[in-house]
Amino acid sequence: MLEFMMENQMYIVLSIVLLVWAGIAVYLVRLDRKVSRLEETMKKES
Amino acid sequence: MSAVKYGSIILVSFVIIAGIAIPLVPSPQNWLEFPVIPGLEEKARNIFFHVPTAWTTVLAFLVSMVYGFRYLRTRNPDYDQKSVISAGLGLMFCILATVTGALWAKFNWGSYWNWDPRQTSIFILLLIYGAYFSLRSAIELEEKKAALSAVYAIVAGLTVPFFIFIMPRMMTGLHPGAQGDSSGGGPLFQSGMMAGNMRVLFYVSLLGFNLLYVWLFTLRLRIARIEDRQLLSRHTEQ
Repeated sequence: MLEFMMENQMYIVLSIVLLVWAGIAVYLVRLDRKVSRLEETMKKES
Repeated sequence: MSAVKYGSIILVSFVIIAGIAIPLVPSPQNWLEFPVIPGLEEKARNIFFHVPTAWTTVLAFLVSMVYGFRYLRTRNPDYDQKSVISAGLGLMFCILATVTGALWAKFNWGSYWNWDPRQTSIFILLLIYGAYFSLRSAIELEEKKAALSAVYAIVAGLTVPFFIFIMPRMMTGLHPGAQGDSSGGGPLFQSGMMAGNMRVLFYVSLLGFNLLYVWLFTLRLRIARIEDRQLLSRHTEQ
């Protein structure tokens, strides 16, 4: 795997872009969970 | 706000497409060709993704410091909220800069972690801001929590320029721009290694990531405000 990436360096760039995207995606999922929790409590209260 | 939202999406998408699609050639003849940087080759494209995450980290931590300062002056809890949201986003981008940097280091320097001055300083920053969140979760009283973490955010924010801009340039290391680096101030500003079109794309990337930060910041802030309003209405009902 590492040797393959060493020879095809474009995959290193791809992995780095994917890592950045994964980090932002995790943040968004956590925000989404917060909003769902808020919606739930609002439903209970109304 | 929609300008920020769509601006960030468009700019980051543009940077991903252009950063990957524009070919590298030994002697570029036109604007749509990047020069080959010796030692980096295709890996040079990482500059458009790794460096902006580190830059956004600095921006977020400095914004957190400014809001900490404003909280101490006014005691307005809104500023405390903004300070902690910015610190959280800064920590996320800091982790991203560390992880993407470690992967790049594996292929350029031979191992994931080399204790290069810049790697060491970002590790210390991770510890400092990790401690910020431990401090917050350890205090129950809201006002005390806000005041202490505002002071901490200011002191922590003051260390950021030293760890990012000063210390790594004073010591010898693997990152460009370290002491004794023959390329001078790093590939970005002085050495002419980075071609004009790469530089433009890099600045577009910086702008895109900064807008992304602003978007995430406002998104998180809107949620926090709704949470607060809910808490308040529950209290008044009781």
